[in-house]
Amino acid sequence: MTSYRISGRGRIDRSKPVSFTFNGASYSGFQGDTLASALLANGVHLVGRSFKYHRPRGILSAGSEEPNALVGTHRGAGRFEPNTRATVLEIFDGLAASSQNHWPSLKWDIGAVNDALYMLFSAGFYYKTFMWPKSFWNKVYEPFIRSAAGLGVSPSAPDPDTYASRFAHFDVLVVGAGPAGLAAALEAGRSGAKVILCDEQAELGGSLLSETDASIDGRPGWEWLEAATNELAALGNVTVLLRTTAIGYYHQNLLGLCQRLTDHLANPPEGAPRERMWKVRARQVVLAQGAIEKPLVFAGNDRPGVMLAGAARSYLNRYGVKVGHRPVVVTSHDSAWLAAFDLAQAGAKVGAIVDTRPEIGRHLKERAAALGIEVLAGWTVTGTSGRLRVSSVRTNPVSRSGVVGRARVIACDALLMSGGWTPSLHLFSHTKGKLDWNEERQMFLPGEQTEACRCAGAGNGNFGLAAALEEGAKAGAAAAADAGFKTEARSYAVEGEIALAGVSHRELPTDRNTSRAKAFVDFQNDVTAKDIRLAVREGFKSIEHIKRYTTTGMATDQGKTSNINGLAIASDAVGKAAPSVGLTTFRPPYTPTSFGAFTGYNRGALFDVTRKTPIDAWAEENGAVFEPVSLWRRAWYFPRNGEDMRAAVARECNAVRESLGMFDASTLGKIEIVGPDAAEFLNRMYTNPWSKLAPGRCRYGVLLGEDGFIRDDGVIGRLTSDRFHVTTTTGGAARVLAMMEDYLQTEWPDLKVWLTSTTEQWAVIALNGPNARKLLEPLIEGIDLSEEAFPHMSVAEGRICGVPTRLFRMSFTGERGYEVNVPARYGRAVWEKIYEAGQQYGITPYGTETMHVLRAEKGYIIVGQDTDGTLTPDDAGLGWAIGKNKPDFVGKRSLSRPDMLKGNRKQLVGLLTADPNTVLEEGAQIVLDPNQSVPMRMVGHVTSSYWSATLGRSIALAVIEGGRARQGETVHIPMPGRMHAANIVGTVFYDPENKCLSALG
Amino acid sequence: MLLIRCPYCEAERPELEFTYAGEAHIARPAEPSKLTDEQWRDYLFIRSNPRGIHFERWRHQHGCARFFNAVRDTVTDKFVMTYKAGLPRPSLSELENARS
Amino acid sequence: MLHQHHPLVGREIAVNTAVPLVIRPAADTARFSLRIDPAELAKASEVFGLQLPAKIGGLSRSAEKRAVCLGPDEWYLTAPLTEQAAVEGAFAELYAEVIHSLVDVGHREVGIEIEGSDSVLALQSAVPFDVGAMPVGSGCRTIFDRAQIILLRETQHRFHIEVWRSFADHVWGILQAAGREIELGI
Repeated sequence: MTSYRISGRGRIDRSKPVSFTFNGASYSGFQGDTLASALLANGVHLVGRSFKYHRPRGILSAGSEEPNALVGTHRGAGRFEPNTRATVLEIFDGLAASSQNHWPSLKWDIGAVNDALYMLFSAGFYYKTFMWPKSFWNKVYEPFIRSAAGLGVSPSAPDPDTYASRFAHFDVLVVGAGPAGLAAALEAGRSGAKVILCDEQAELGGSLLSETDASIDGRPGWEWLEAATNELAALGNVTVLLRTTAIGYYHQNLLGLCQRLTDHLANPPEGAPRERMWKVRARQVVLAQGAIEKPLVFAGNDRPGVMLAGAARSYLNRYGVKVGHRPVVVTSHDSAWLAAFDLAQAGAKVGAIVDTRPEIGRHLKERAAALGIEVLAGWTVTGTSGRLRVSSVRTNPVSRSGVVGRARVIACDALLMSGGWTPSLHLFSHTKGKLDWNEERQMFLPGEQTEACRCAGAGNGNFGLAAALEEGAKAGAAAAADAGFKTEARSYAVEGEIALAGVSHRELPTDRNTSRAKAFVDFQNDVTAKDIRLAVREGFKSIEHIKRYTTTGMATDQGKTSNINGLAIASDAVGKAAPSVGLTTFRPPYTPTSFGAFTGYNRGALFDVTRKTPIDAWAEENGAVFEPVSLWRRAWYFPRNGEDMRAAVARECNAVRESLGMFDASTLGKIEIVGPDAAEFLNRMYTNPWSKLAPGRCRYGVLLGEDGFIRDDGVIGRLTSDRFHVTTTTGGAARVLAMMEDYLQTEWPDLKVWLTSTTEQWAVIALNGPNARKLLEPLIEGIDLSEEAFPHMSVAEGRICGVPTRLFRMSFTGERGYEVNVPARYGRAVWEKIYEAGQQYGITPYGTETMHVLRAEKGYIIVGQDTDGTLTPDDAGLGWAIGKNKPDFVGKRSLSRPDMLKGNRKQLVGLLTADPNTVLEEGAQIVLDPNQSVPMRMVGHVTSSYWSATLGRSIALAVIEGGRARQGETVHIPMPGRMHAANIVGTVFYDPENKCLSALG
Repeated sequence: MLLIRCPYCEAERPELEFTYAGEAHIARPAEPSKLTDEQWRDYLFIRSNPRGIHFERWRHQHGCARFFNAVRDTVTDKFVMTYKAGLPRPSLSELENARS
Repeated sequence: MLHQHHPLVGREIAVNTAVPLVIRPAADTARFSLRIDPAELAKASEVFGLQLPAKIGGLSRSAEKRAVCLGPDEWYLTAPLTEQAAVEGAFAELYAEVIHSLVDVGHREVGIEIEGSDSVLALQSAVPFDVGAMPVGSGCRTIFDRAQIILLRETQHRFHIEVWRSFADHVWGILQAAGREIELGI
């Protein structure tokens, strides 16, 4: 055991030693230690370098508020995490941790030169420094900022862990399991309410874990804690979550709780998620977040070995670690005296208690005297020394009139400070609850609330064990009562507690030149008191601006230890009371939270829904390359024998044009529209007329938004007078149904018609090519496929291969085409039967790329590719699809708005490049004059562009201002490397007479 | 995530089941062709965008699938009340009652 | 008849806890989406051979059939596959008298059964509403992570999910992950 570990103190399990490494050196601690307590037990204070000045830094706190002691942790391959707070990291066998922000080593760091150049790094230094010359931006400034920015190093390997999430509903949620939270959970739990209690630490107790003097109901505090823990565990209606941080408080009592499940384990079980995000909805919430100790602001307050007094007390009482052999205490608050007393009792030689207050309570002074501790009341601290660890403190008397007297230097190996306590209002602040400034106590307290919540204990400004228990019990009882349960808050008898008082300070008074002093306010972002005053001198008056200019409170700790000190200094500099300078808004998450926890299950295969068609498995087995189309994955092309994409697509295109291709069109949206007003409904929704469409026939329909722009298109078949089978684009299926429901429910509720999504009811096999009919004839029952009975744009119900089918005759390729709809579970079997039967015709499965090429050769648009939400039917060359005699349809009125009638609207045209081998880039811009100066005037862009195997050259579709009237003109397309010329032509490149639609092989 | 009371399901359900659908009580003109360009523009594009009480449409998309109307305070984000599509805008006193 | 390909066929999630949790694909049924004026509910019930619930969230069951009310004029019906044609025929006859919409959605959906005392816990991994408070004998449309589902609570510890076939794998994957957590007791 090291000389810093005190026998007989602490809650660590001395029977379970744990070995770990820090910066490669091996250390040992005990189960129950944090990395911070274990390092301190080994006499290690120096754990990192600061962000901006690279100053040596130690451990400031003993909790999640820690701004300094950030380390990288390694848990094996891929499991590296930067910026873990050593003060909350539980050690386990094999933990490897390393310090950050230094090179080449923690003790000798080149970057520390910044410390000497601090004049460059004052408030707003980014804004001031990197302004000129302009040419320095790319080569000098940006690389410098990028390399200097960021805490620690981002992990570079994919995270091998899994994460979980869970929704949960409770009557009462209690955040924080200190005395107040425990009392609240006990009351609510006893009432029978469904209660959840969470705490970020590994065991219940909060501040009670660091408190050894007081007794509760006649029992030592820790005995009471054990009994309370047991009682909660025994209550079946209470859920206790340890290692669980309430990270955010959202509307209507929804809180995000991040539970760390396996980080503390040396060997996590296989398949166990690392963290789980609970999304808890509670009827009532009790916030018992406690309070965070404030540092004092004086020169050298950031040196390793300078820490919060309450933290030193925690290390001693909870972990059995003496943070120094010769500590000195500097404080403006009684609570730090307890740290001095406890350390003295544990054998430390306390050099002095420096208290800024001239008057100190007798009970404290007597106890200090009894322990032989020198008291310097009415003194200030003006500096510290020691390169990598504090070795002395410079302290001066301050007269009643404020004159700082002669300095005295006291040797020490730890300096314990306290500037009082700040109630943790973070979660309350997330709710936009009002914060009231208490001028006398110099703290914000919860004010008017917006949610059903109560604050209790130190988090409500009621410090001390007795107050916490009492208020916690009341809050728990009241919360249970408001959730509909009967209970009565019990009271607790607390003994041995010392009443604590204190005052608040800005920077401590000093006799030294303040313009050179580095008195830190924000340790993590290296912001000093001087920086804040400079910002105010430069004109910033609101804390929101001061914060952004100096970056105070903007680090990952969100200023947990610094905000109130920063505000006090800012309000003094501005000359206004703190509330009028303002407190910055706290935002979720309360503490840094892994992306994994937010992601939950949604990574890897579950990143998002991957919709697969009933035929997808066949495509996979047959070598398809896939592409995502909205949530679907679709077969893109089917390469054979090492073909590249272009070769495969050319082969697939030729097969369709020459004989027969088959295509999985199952992803097309499908809506069944049923009712006597079905045709009338379609009349109102689509641009086309539907009343006269005979059952058994189908028609291409165009759907506009009310703004007149194309939203969707598809073929609609009439099955009976009252039943239509509507198809939509793959990506538009849900949107179109929602739009239709909207009009039906809210504009035309009188129409007798109902809509049902049947997208997934049907597998759809598109057969295209001159041999399509020959293939189908022997497979189909009950449908006459002759030209007379079943011409282009027909639909009929029958059977194929013995199963029911809705057969469409339609074409999206320009060849004779059929779409075989079969109930989805038969999709694959029918596909295989057709594939088998089609061998005699060289049937060729093709993917979306070939489909795109074939339709482009015919000038058929794809909504969302050739249109972009600003094209009218006329712009897209679909003026023919508008029912001229219809009085109204969605979007009709907009088509006659003045802008829609302008002559130079962008219109869809075809493009043929001068060089037939050039395939233009989709999205490339189009200009009329290639020699104009940059920026050129762009008149349109390429929407679709392919190599056409059929034509033996490239083709493209484009939208161009007044394009249709420019047919025959040459336009120019700047692309990387060179300018391409192209001729504007019509949109139909292949079979303009539509002969192929009914050709037979 | 808000809890939203669906007036058809008569139950409070999580916001994840709902989609927002724009401002409420903007009826599609019966005969759009009789509207001037300005009137049609106003119908299409002009919205009140108030700070405070806002009448808006929501759909219980992943529930009963109904569109309905809601009154929400755009400052607090909170719903004051919800009511079925087709019902008139609630009166001030009805809103007061719902708030209390 | 041709072979039918079921997305989840042959799969099962068995969670070995004190009271086992079992998640398995449900046997196929005929399924229909019925849309009808609620005033005509009695006639529809007669035609279907099961009293249709009048209130959204209501679930009626007989030995072979199920009807859940999803919306003010929307019912989701299941029946044995052998009764597919009979149900369609009976409603087709009703159409002359009472207009309505009956659409076959039998192949659109996949059924998943979740049984065990931890079934609520498994579902709450991805269902945002309070599943524990869902009455036995009720059903509703809701969201499971990013997939829309119909959730039925058939007994205290048995739930049934109906989900569109292309979303079934996603739902299954999350249930599998949740089952693993339950098995590990974490």
